[in-house]
Amino acid sequence: MIRTFEDLDRLAPEKGPKKFIVLAPEDEEFMLAVKHSWQRGYIEPVLIGSRDKIERLAGQVEFDIAPFEKIFESDRQGIADLAISMLFAGDVDMAGKGQIPTAFIYRSIIREESKIRKGTMVSVVSLWDIAGLGHLTSLTDAGVNINPDYESKLEIIKNAVFLFHLLGYPKPRISVLSGQREIGDTLESYRDFTKLREAAQGGELGSCEIMEATSLAEIFLPGKKTFSRYSDINIGKADFPEIMLMPNLSTGNILVKLDFVIPCVRRRSLVMTSRGPVLIPSRSDFHDSIVGEIALGVVTADRVRRA
Amino acid sequence: MLRNFKDIREAARQEGKKRIVLAPSGPAGGPDALYEAAREGFITPVFVGDRSLTDKTLREKGFSSHDFEIISEQDPRKCVMLALDMVRGNKADIVMQGAMEHQLFLDLALNREKGLMQNRVASFVSVFDPPALDRLTMITDTYIHNNPSITEKIAITENVIKLARILGIGSPKIAALSAIEQVNPAIPSTMDAAILAKMAERRQFGDVTIEGPLDIDCAVSGKAAARKGIQSAVTGQADIYLVPNVEAGYLTAQISVFIAGMPMAGVLMGTTHPVIVQLPLTSGENKLVEIALAVLLSGR
Repeated sequence: MIRTFEDLDRLAPEKGPKKFIVLAPEDEEFMLAVKHSWQRGYIEPVLIGSRDKIERLAGQVEFDIAPFEKIFESDRQGIADLAISMLFAGDVDMAGKGQIPTAFIYRSIIREESKIRKGTMVSVVSLWDIAGLGHLTSLTDAGVNINPDYESKLEIIKNAVFLFHLLGYPKPRISVLSGQREIGDTLESYRDFTKLREAAQGGELGSCEIMEATSLAEIFLPGKKTFSRYSDINIGKADFPEIMLMPNLSTGNILVKLDFVIPCVRRRSLVMTSRGPVLIPSRSDFHDSIVGEIALGVVTADRVRRA
Repeated sequence: MLRNFKDIREAARQEGKKRIVLAPSGPAGGPDALYEAAREGFITPVFVGDRSLTDKTLREKGFSSHDFEIISEQDPRKCVMLALDMVRGNKADIVMQGAMEHQLFLDLALNREKGLMQNRVASFVSVFDPPALDRLTMITDTYIHNNPSITEKIAITENVIKLARILGIGSPKIAALSAIEQVNPAIPSTMDAAILAKMAERRQFGDVTIEGPLDIDCAVSGKAAARKGIQSAVTGQADIYLVPNVEAGYLTAQISVFIAGMPMAGVLMGTTHPVIVQLPLTSGENKLVEIALAVLLSGR
């Protein structure tokens, strides 16, 4: 079982190098991340995008790209379509987004998934490594679905459960997070929680468990209405889920990036397709965090192939 | 400018004694902080509830029933109504929730005819004292509105600006959050955020700066914002974060408390007089800050 990001970083050079198609690496931070990941033995890059930009950026970060396969294509949707079709054909092990609109990549993934009659719900799983927790946790979906309905949430959960099975968690626990309070009308997220719990109990979601808790307060203060001191809170002793289902995109996107202000939290995200991982770094991410995401991609790509 | 919770408590002590009416009083007796504030001398509690139970609680807390005014009333609903009457009649300054469910207490306190609302919108502000910063930060609305309309968001913004001014933040910087930093009609909160930013630009909120829509990474990090090509006085320097809906607000507050361990105190805004609500996200040690905030709000 992979419990921390250090586990991923240790495994990535063992499982690499994986063939990694990089979509439009036309930004210095992203090109630096590719360079460092190659130097660490994680990847063998395949670069696809604008010739001028790729060569200029590689020069800027002093990265000799002569030995690597390059595909020169300037049309953004064309880049996404070709790269994702190569992933699904098994020509590459994983893909990663550079300077290209995310929606283009999602469109290509949906097209390829539908060809092989798999689920076509694309969702982003963002892993959190929280100091002292003892296992990975995740927030999903924080990237694609604006207001997912019940059916969409079923698929979002299945995507996250698939990833956690790959990471070695045989029965991940899921908390369907909701802003339901003691006041106000019942929120859609809370109504969905009840239905999702029944679906999980009926075996519809595979090997996983939907917890009773729908808020952090319930996770940390089970059966209590308040707490006295911060020293009473111990995340290592809390019944903390592996998967936290977000009620909507706004909430997910805000929560998932709280690692910017919480020093004990680190984040790595990906989209898990049936043929391998697609990395979707935020445009605000820096090269060290992108290298971390590439390590996650290498390990999950290896396990998808073996599965 | 008050920069941390210690400053807030100190400022409250300088305000002169305020009368806080706890309703309904009884076995719960209110938080320990109520008695601590009374001992420190910056508030005088008044109790409305079952007299014998209140007497017993006071003895347990180290006081006598002669130390404070107790108004005997068995019916919890009437207790709260009496407390609201006292505040409206200037016989007390602040109402504090006692042993009553949140929904019923807020229904009474926020009733437009008999409560403390005057055609205004109530909202809840979570005030944080982040250890890594030398200033307070606020998130709103973290409790009251499920999916506020733009009209309600304008009132929520006005409410938090009022609180910022009381805390001595002369020109608050406000991040209007959404899922993305671009205006996108498919995500209505991006349009609400843009409207608030434009209103601020036209000085409809006075001396404040609002940037929006911002995603959270741009809001909290100037470097991250620069990577996305956003230059603003707000990015990395926000005093206030406006959230798009209560799911985002309530859950962000919870993660900040339980995972980040950030000290938090809550304030109900938009009422004619301060109302203290007993929510589970405030630790016992920060209840005193909530009382201090109510003291600072009183009379303003």
